[in-house]
Amino acid sequence: MAKSLGIFVTSPQNMRHVMGITTAAKAKGSKVKVFFTWYGIHLTKCKEFPSLCELADEVSICVDSYKKSGYDPADIPKGLEAKDMATQGQHGAIIEEYECYLTL
Amino acid sequence: MKLLNVYRSEPNDDTKKLVEIVSEGRDAESFDLNVESPDYSALLDKVFAADQTICWW
Amino acid sequence: MSKKVGFLLVNKDYTLDGIRSALGLAVENMYSYAYVLNNELTDVSDYHKENIDWIRDMEGEVYTTVDANVENLGMVKISLEEIGQQLRDLEFIIPYGILRSDKS
Repeated sequence: MAKSLGIFVTSPQNMRHVMGITTAAKAKGSKVKVFFTWYGIHLTKCKEFPSLCELADEVSICVDSYKKSGYDPADIPKGLEAKDMATQGQHGAIIEEYECYLTL
Repeated sequence: MKLLNVYRSEPNDDTKKLVEIVSEGRDAESFDLNVESPDYSALLDKVFAADQTICWW
Repeated sequence: MSKKVGFLLVNKDYTLDGIRSALGLAVENMYSYAYVLNNELTDVSDYHKENIDWIRDMEGEVYTTVDANVENLGMVKISLEEIGQQLRDLEFIIPYGILRSDKS
């Protein structure tokens, strides 16, 4: 049976895995939440990022990491809303509320 | 305790040592993401069946 | 019951942010541990030093395999084997970021 899945993204190298796993999980009927932090936030600039936001149930990023990486927090990546420019509390929510956990 | 070790890249000696210690005496499986076309559906079947998944670097 | 989480930090470019992320879970009422393996931290700001202290104040700990981090930052010395044993007791193990390219 499909379980809910939380994905914590800390690497800038794994967009194909984030997309592939999220796509497969949704096909199985899972609820999926993805949170990007530190250099993982560079993946918001990938062309697939807006598709990921449509596919997953929730996507958010660490706004502090985004700012420290030289991006303007007012420049919200396509696919996200202001509320998704978030804190490490989103990582806590994945751990507390989702049945399965992956780090990519 | 069913453990799934997932590899995002080729494990180095330290990673191999940690996997060995963490997996000892447990029902441990592994999955290699570091291939051209990973079977993500098969990965998820293993993730859903495991008590704990560790995605090594 | 509070979750137990461990961050494995092997890459100097990711370590200080990994410690910040570990603090982020400590403030979410989790037992949060950081393990700094094989990377010596230099030019550590007061902000990041405070993050280490706060993790400790919240019943977590920052361990390291590197003597210089023990001397300069007050981290607790630990061996690779001891890290492995501690990880066995944790519910979430987070290999953070990417391996260093030199594979040392």
